[in-house]
Amino acid sequence: MTSTTQNALSTKVGRRSFLKMAAVAGAFGATSAFASSGVTRAATEDEVKNPFPGSKNVRTICTACSVGCGITAEVQNGVWVRQEVAQDHPVSLGGHCCKGADMIDMVRSEVRLKYPMVKEGGQWKRISWDTAYERISKKLDSLRKKDGPDSTIFLGSAKMSTEQAYYFRKFAAFYGTNNIDHQARI
Amino acid sequence: MSNNEMARMKFYCDDQRCIECNGCSVACAEAHELPTGVSRRKVITLNEGVEGKEFSTSVACMHCTDAPCEQVCPVDCFYIREDGIVLHDKDVCIGCGYCLYACPFGAPQFPRDGAFGTKGAMDKCTMCAGGPLETNSAHERELYGQNRIAEGKVPMCAAMCSTKALIVGSADEVAKIYRTRIAAKGKGVQSAPYGWSKAYSN
Amino acid sequence: MANTWGYGAMTNSLGDIQNAKAIIIFGANPAVNHPVGFGHFLKAKERNNAQIIVVDPRYTKTAAKADIFAQIRPGTDIPFMYGMLNIIFKNGWEDKKFIKDRVYGIEDIRKEAAKWTPEKVADVTGVSAEKLMQITRVYAKSTPGTLIWAMGLTQHTIGSSNTRMAPILQLCLGNMGVEGGGTNILRGHDNVQGATDMCCLSHTLPGYYGLSAGSWKYFAKSWGVDYEWLAGRFKDKKMMSAKGFTLAKWYSGVLAGKPGEDKIHNAGTNLKALFVMGNGITSIAQQAKVKEALDNLELIVLADPFVNEAAILTDKKDDVFLLPAATQFETSGSVTATNRSAQWRYQVVEPMYESKPDHEIMFEFAKRLGFYDEYTKGMLIRENKKTFKFPEDATDEIARIIKTIGLTGWTSKRLKKHTDNWHMFDEVSLRGTGPMKGEYYGLPWPCWTESHSGSPVLYNINRSVKEGGMGFRNRFGLEHDGQNLLAGKGSAPKGSSNKDGYAEITAKNIESVLGIKLSAAEKKKIGKNWKVDTSNIIAEKCMEAGIAPYGNAKARAKVWTFPDQIPMHREPLHSPRQDLAKKYPSYKDKANHYRVDTKYISKQTEKDWSKEFPINLVTGRLVNLNGAGMENRASKYLAELTPEMFCDIHPGLAANHGIRNGDMMWVHSPEGTKIKVKAKFSYSVSEDRVFLPMHFAGHFQGEDLSHKYPEGTKPYAVGESANTVTNYGYDIVTQIPETKGGLCRIEKA
Repeated sequence: MTSTTQNALSTKVGRRSFLKMAAVAGAFGATSAFASSGVTRAATEDEVKNPFPGSKNVRTICTACSVGCGITAEVQNGVWVRQEVAQDHPVSLGGHCCKGADMIDMVRSEVRLKYPMVKEGGQWKRISWDTAYERISKKLDSLRKKDGPDSTIFLGSAKMSTEQAYYFRKFAAFYGTNNIDHQARI
Repeated sequence: MSNNEMARMKFYCDDQRCIECNGCSVACAEAHELPTGVSRRKVITLNEGVEGKEFSTSVACMHCTDAPCEQVCPVDCFYIREDGIVLHDKDVCIGCGYCLYACPFGAPQFPRDGAFGTKGAMDKCTMCAGGPLETNSAHERELYGQNRIAEGKVPMCAAMCSTKALIVGSADEVAKIYRTRIAAKGKGVQSAPYGWSKAYSN
Repeated sequence: MANTWGYGAMTNSLGDIQNAKAIIIFGANPAVNHPVGFGHFLKAKERNNAQIIVVDPRYTKTAAKADIFAQIRPGTDIPFMYGMLNIIFKNGWEDKKFIKDRVYGIEDIRKEAAKWTPEKVADVTGVSAEKLMQITRVYAKSTPGTLIWAMGLTQHTIGSSNTRMAPILQLCLGNMGVEGGGTNILRGHDNVQGATDMCCLSHTLPGYYGLSAGSWKYFAKSWGVDYEWLAGRFKDKKMMSAKGFTLAKWYSGVLAGKPGEDKIHNAGTNLKALFVMGNGITSIAQQAKVKEALDNLELIVLADPFVNEAAILTDKKDDVFLLPAATQFETSGSVTATNRSAQWRYQVVEPMYESKPDHEIMFEFAKRLGFYDEYTKGMLIRENKKTFKFPEDATDEIARIIKTIGLTGWTSKRLKKHTDNWHMFDEVSLRGTGPMKGEYYGLPWPCWTESHSGSPVLYNINRSVKEGGMGFRNRFGLEHDGQNLLAGKGSAPKGSSNKDGYAEITAKNIESVLGIKLSAAEKKKIGKNWKVDTSNIIAEKCMEAGIAPYGNAKARAKVWTFPDQIPMHREPLHSPRQDLAKKYPSYKDKANHYRVDTKYISKQTEKDWSKEFPINLVTGRLVNLNGAGMENRASKYLAELTPEMFCDIHPGLAANHGIRNGDMMWVHSPEGTKIKVKAKFSYSVSEDRVFLPMHFAGHFQGEDLSHKYPEGTKPYAVGESANTVTNYGYDIVTQIPETKGGLCRIEKA
């Protein structure tokens, strides 16, 4: 959208429309619904400009595909409140496909795995991180001693950061096996 | 256009660029936290898989200048802003569905969670201009979604369009952008945008 | 691809595609898989009148925007491209000077191309001779032309030949090293390029250094640990240099020894434990085998933000651990886009619930397994520190060590600066302005020094090395069969002190190639060659002299270490054309292929597969889901777009099987497996093939496994995995599974 449109909107509509009735082109009169909702109070500059006062925008990158679209995440008090438009990103110019437009759901999806779990006797059971670390390490350690490091395979991820991927590769090396791979193989 | 004139806001979807990525519809749903089943904006593809005949376009409320929904509404809940954005008051709307009869685009949506659900009895595209409640109040956001126009921002669907097929702005600005594209192509102007005659031919 | 000219990566960038006059797309569907990237294609069409040519088994969304579409039979890209070359050579449309100066081994290609007349190509590929000629003419005549591909080329037994064939076509047309040209592979996941560069791969160390003792010694030294100690962590030094199992065929490591299973070579043990971090293993081929393997493991650890559906697939009752990993928005680090540009992904929020970032989980395990100090020491070395800060110190550790792909310039400070200033870069050229002048966005590698600009277009000799120019890499020796492999006279990057071809730079030849004298101090500090020169003297001196540290050689059309020296057509293991399978048979079976004895010809000739399974099976992606789909199906808006697993089927084919639109249908595979999916009528597939999206899990061979999800974690959409019915078959070099050219049988459910 060009600046002309923006100017027209912000001067003529944006600022004025919080006095809602002024902007309504005579479609109907002042009904009680409006009279009681306090719309005639002048909105503060901050309220009009930003519905999430005090929020900050964080630049980050979409995790879907390798195009690397920019994402602007609006964060208020440590909560990702909405996804803003990274209009000035040199590759994506603010654009997203449906996956990218919904990146915020990666964080706030209700079906996330919330705590460590283990299957025991066919049933899922919640455990603490410490228990998980302890039990897994013990098992890995004993397998490594009994059957050798090549009895384990590590499958890493193209969804990790480069640094994490590097440390994942390094982990297998220090564990003592080349049984390590990730999605580039598919 | 000078700053003194009011913009007349329009959407335009360039079907030479639309690839049915659904970025617009999901961006909209996410931004306004719509309940599932409500599509303020929908991408449709016609003649899928037929060589040379397949095309996609994104449809929502077209914010008609002479809006049929506004004319037929029995409780007169619609209102048209000075900039041409067609909105309605959900505290007045009774969800009769008469607007759906009138609308050539199937824009009005009827949330399954009923009249007192999160998005009222009838829900439709607001061009990200909220509703008649206090601007950018939590109440307005909950019932109508974000009011990005008041924030001086571009409506979400067009801003996030992956290929910039979907354009929004004052009608003459939209036309200007489209004309520039056509001129750049140098191979003739498309006969007509796909609109009224084809919007519901499939 | 790396075997052709040095690096296996996208050569240009998405924005650069706007410079193309023609765009040919093989086995890629960017309109669906890279929608934002595809925007640049559409702009090329508008601005340059660029012709978009799509060669694909399906009429995809990309094809819908194409000027010319050719519906090719899966697995016949090599004949198609030879057909193009046949016409190009016949008409003299090739770039003769480019070939003479910069390519080795084209004579063999000429000979092979001569065999592929348009009529013969038509028979094998199913694309008419007229169309082939039309495409070739348009593409050869509109330069620069860019060639795009994705998994449609790689996921074949001959995938590694396909990915050599496409570069050869581009080399012949002189489309390499120019703006608007190049071979532009579109990577899948957001950081496939980064994770591949870091070599989370079983055949090499980070930076593609390989697994030789020399490489391990370089890394041991760079990590600050004793080489012998590190070797002691392995079973023995032989296993330390042996390629490991792959993601594609790890299941054989568990199942070996059972009747009918492939034999393995894994230091005398089967796989007993599986440790997965961020990998949807429900989207790899042979799901029935994967399930059986999971059932037979002693330990399964799955760390992911959502439930990894391997946990749902398996019937294993104990010792299956689910660890909640944080998403990438709850940590920070760099990510490499498909064009080799790095961006800094800033942390948005603290990890939700009890989730932890991947590296914290790895560090804690390292502590408990007793190698934490050695493991993290590499982050302390650069600045001789006592404590490290992740990820910044890891980025700098990588920059310190990885010379092969030129990551020296990728310090955390620079990468952050680029993301902070992304608005200062040009969309098409990626050139920076203002304070970012002289740099390209994301410093596309190779980025040789801490002041290097990055290299937006690989192999471009019209720029100086300092500004991202370079010839082809000298990677395959100085000569072969008595022919010089270095670039021809005058084919050096702009501003070079040496105008001709030259070898890769070593401590020995630096003075003669660059025409300089090193000081005694420099001689003392310099590393043996450019790949291990942590002093970076070689790179710095090279920049001054305009020399590419990796040399200036010819690209090669012939790879003498591969089973096929030049790309040869070989029918898929499961071919609908048995007559052609006899004429173009697959490879001999391959022993110890990533530790597994892998079947080729014995599988292909086991029986006439096409009798019982007459329909071609093609898999691919949807726009709303990616990978195994677990993260996207956990979003209600994305799940809503495709709430169910389906099969695209031509109404004509469906009618022959009594299947109506929306009916449930079975898809049976030669593996003896089957899936139950909803029929979706579509003209995008022809009557001899069906298409399955690859992102679903949670159903298995007709059974709904919903009850197996831990409470409150089931995604909003579940369904059959297409990979339950993809066929056996693996690339001869990379072992990538042949999911893009199998067979199936269908029936109404």
